[in-house]
Amino acid sequence: MIQTIAFYLFAVLMIASAVFVITARNPVHSVLWLILAFFNAAGLMVLVGAEFIAMLLVIVYVGAVAVLFLFVVMMLDIDFAELRAGFIKNFPLGIAIAMVLLAELVLGIGAYQAGALQLGTPDGLAAPMADRSNIESLGALMYGRYLILFEVAGMILLVAMVGAIVLTHRPPKSARASQNISRQVARRPEDAVVMKQPTVGQGVEL
Amino acid sequence: MDTATSFALIAPELLLAVSSLLLVLAAAWGGDKAARPVTILAVSALFGAGLLLWPVLHLGKVGPETWAFGDLLRADAFAGFAKALIYLAAIGCLVVTPSWFDRMKAMKPEYPVLVLLATLGMSLMVSASDLLTLYLGLELNSLAAYVLAAYLRNDSKSAEAGLKYFVLGALASGILLYGMSLLYGFTGTTSFAGIREALSGEMSNGMLFGVIFVLAGLAFKIAAVPFHMWTPDVYEGAPTPVTTFFATAPKVAAVALTARVALDAFGGQVDAWRQVVIFAALASIVVGALGAIGQNNLKRLLAYSSINNVGFILIGLAAASVAGASAMFVYLAIYVAMSLGSFVALMMLHDEDGRALETFDDIAGLSTKRPALAWCLLALMFSLAGIPPLLGFWGKFVVFQAAVEANLVALAAIGIAASVIGAFYYIKFIKVMFFDAASPATVADSTRAHWAVLGITTLIVSPLGYFLTRSFGDLGDKAASALFLLP
Amino acid sequence: MIGIEHYLVVSAILFVLGVLGIFLNRKNVIIILMGIELILLSVNINLVAFSAFLNDLVGQVFAMFVLTVAAGEAAIGLAILVIYFRNRGTIAVDSVDRLKG
Repeated sequence: MIQTIAFYLFAVLMIASAVFVITARNPVHSVLWLILAFFNAAGLMVLVGAEFIAMLLVIVYVGAVAVLFLFVVMMLDIDFAELRAGFIKNFPLGIAIAMVLLAELVLGIGAYQAGALQLGTPDGLAAPMADRSNIESLGALMYGRYLILFEVAGMILLVAMVGAIVLTHRPPKSARASQNISRQVARRPEDAVVMKQPTVGQGVEL
Repeated sequence: MDTATSFALIAPELLLAVSSLLLVLAAAWGGDKAARPVTILAVSALFGAGLLLWPVLHLGKVGPETWAFGDLLRADAFAGFAKALIYLAAIGCLVVTPSWFDRMKAMKPEYPVLVLLATLGMSLMVSASDLLTLYLGLELNSLAAYVLAAYLRNDSKSAEAGLKYFVLGALASGILLYGMSLLYGFTGTTSFAGIREALSGEMSNGMLFGVIFVLAGLAFKIAAVPFHMWTPDVYEGAPTPVTTFFATAPKVAAVALTARVALDAFGGQVDAWRQVVIFAALASIVVGALGAIGQNNLKRLLAYSSINNVGFILIGLAAASVAGASAMFVYLAIYVAMSLGSFVALMMLHDEDGRALETFDDIAGLSTKRPALAWCLLALMFSLAGIPPLLGFWGKFVVFQAAVEANLVALAAIGIAASVIGAFYYIKFIKVMFFDAASPATVADSTRAHWAVLGITTLIVSPLGYFLTRSFGDLGDKAASALFLLP
Repeated sequence: MIGIEHYLVVSAILFVLGVLGIFLNRKNVIIILMGIELILLSVNINLVAFSAFLNDLVGQVFAMFVLTVAAGEAAIGLAILVIYFRNRGTIAVDSVDRLKG
């Protein structure tokens, strides 16, 4: 009973926040709604017994990704007033298409009636270990059978890091910050001053 | 299978991974001065990885002896063939890159590193035999590709191309992933072998949706109609060396991945996806041919040409036979040569100030200014159009032959008709270069690296290339039979 | 116990909302990136729910990889957005029109 209530609470809150994510006029609000959606999704995952993924979702998404979004929204000096003026075009058509897509998904997969779904049969190699916690079973799988993919995931993060740096890093402008005393001392008047004897009406060319 | 054997099987990937890690460090310490040495080292790493493929390709290895890490990856003849093409294409793209970027002082050592990492991702994609490997390989390739598209960060067209590519690519990954999650739920496994087994019985609606979503996501990646709309914009906006890369190596990887997924994982349900593939093939051929007609920008034109070519490749897939798959690989190999050659030729078209000449007006009367370049382009364009003495004709011929053998005569007929329409704009290319009054733009000299790549690709597509058809056909047959698990 | 159907419906709604966020949005590219995050979240819910109901942990491992990739994707996407903004001074979706033909 409590589980049912919790499920509907999390599910309704998550979908409501997702709706606000895509309709909020202020991107900062969108990010905050996104965070709420992630928290509720983590709740849903705890309900089915995937504690570790749920915690990871909170740590990675709320702790890193959402903060990254907030950071970028704040850093880009966006003219919110101008963005607010924009109205969502094709709104009714979009909603209609979305409804059709949703109906197709739900009816197509057959998820509209309880107990009718025929799930596959796993090979049983990756079943959770009997007297171990979720995180221990996951760890055994991740560092055993899927070790090579774990390494590949590391390469993906490396690409993300190198890519973000290549795109956004600008070398610091050294001239502004540093003072080169020997260059100052070595400067001679003949390098710095130009003597001109302009003829009248010709102007000066430097 | 023990770990040591598994590592031996993925030796090319290990070499690429280790060398890209070392080169990241070299790039970090060496700064922009290290760009050329890093490029040279990256090319040699790719070359070394290619050499490691030799035994697999030569022996046509197939079956459980090629399964690494408990069938997460397969280093069979099919993967070997695709990897060889990918490495060659990546080498070709890297060789011509530095002198192009030097013109705008944008060459950084991270560029070859990103290409190397993308190539590693493609390598994993084509040897994937599990949805997890597939996804990680695809994303490793895609993330590097998004960065490359936006590489000229002070150029607003490049940034826009990166943004478009990112949004549509990420959406495609999302659709693909949703399909994979459905497949996992309704088949209970992520391995291709397991999915094949589960699908060969009666297919539930959930499985069907999984198959459709996965194919739609893959169609995005190979730029097949109706998921092609990003291609012209991204190809035009991205820097030309990056466009060259996109049109060759990742295309091979995505097509090979699609072939593996369709024929291996979904191999038990050919009838479920054949209609979709036939539609995508015909639509790609027609849209590619018609869309190119009004274009003035040469990069956009070649983008439509690549959509058109993907259509012909998909005809081979629709045949769903060993001959069809083999024809597809032969076409793919020829396509890589044609595409690499024509984009390198575009790269060579720039004036003394380094401004790129990429519209029809700019290349008018090219034959009087740079006859050698114009003749190479003539050969490449005739080959893309599939005009007989050139190798492009052979590719189309084997694909249509396979389609007819698989009783897809109507498909082959429409394909031939559409390729005649397609010939129109290739011939317009020739007309502008050879018969129009010369434009005022001067064309600057090109470096030796450009000439070398252009020369090699032109030789391959020239009638001399028919000497290669036997070995292409042989390798294609080996790769195709590995896909169908025939010894 | 809540059935798997409920989870599938919730995740299908979330997926459609994410797609809607990408296609309907005319204001702001950041919202599009958030739509992508919503799609990936829906995939994760699917994977974790299937994993629990199949009694098979592969789905959870998959979800972890999706999470990793999503983090990398967000970093790259935002980096591209930043350089786009530096070039154009706006991130309105309507402004993404320089490449057309």
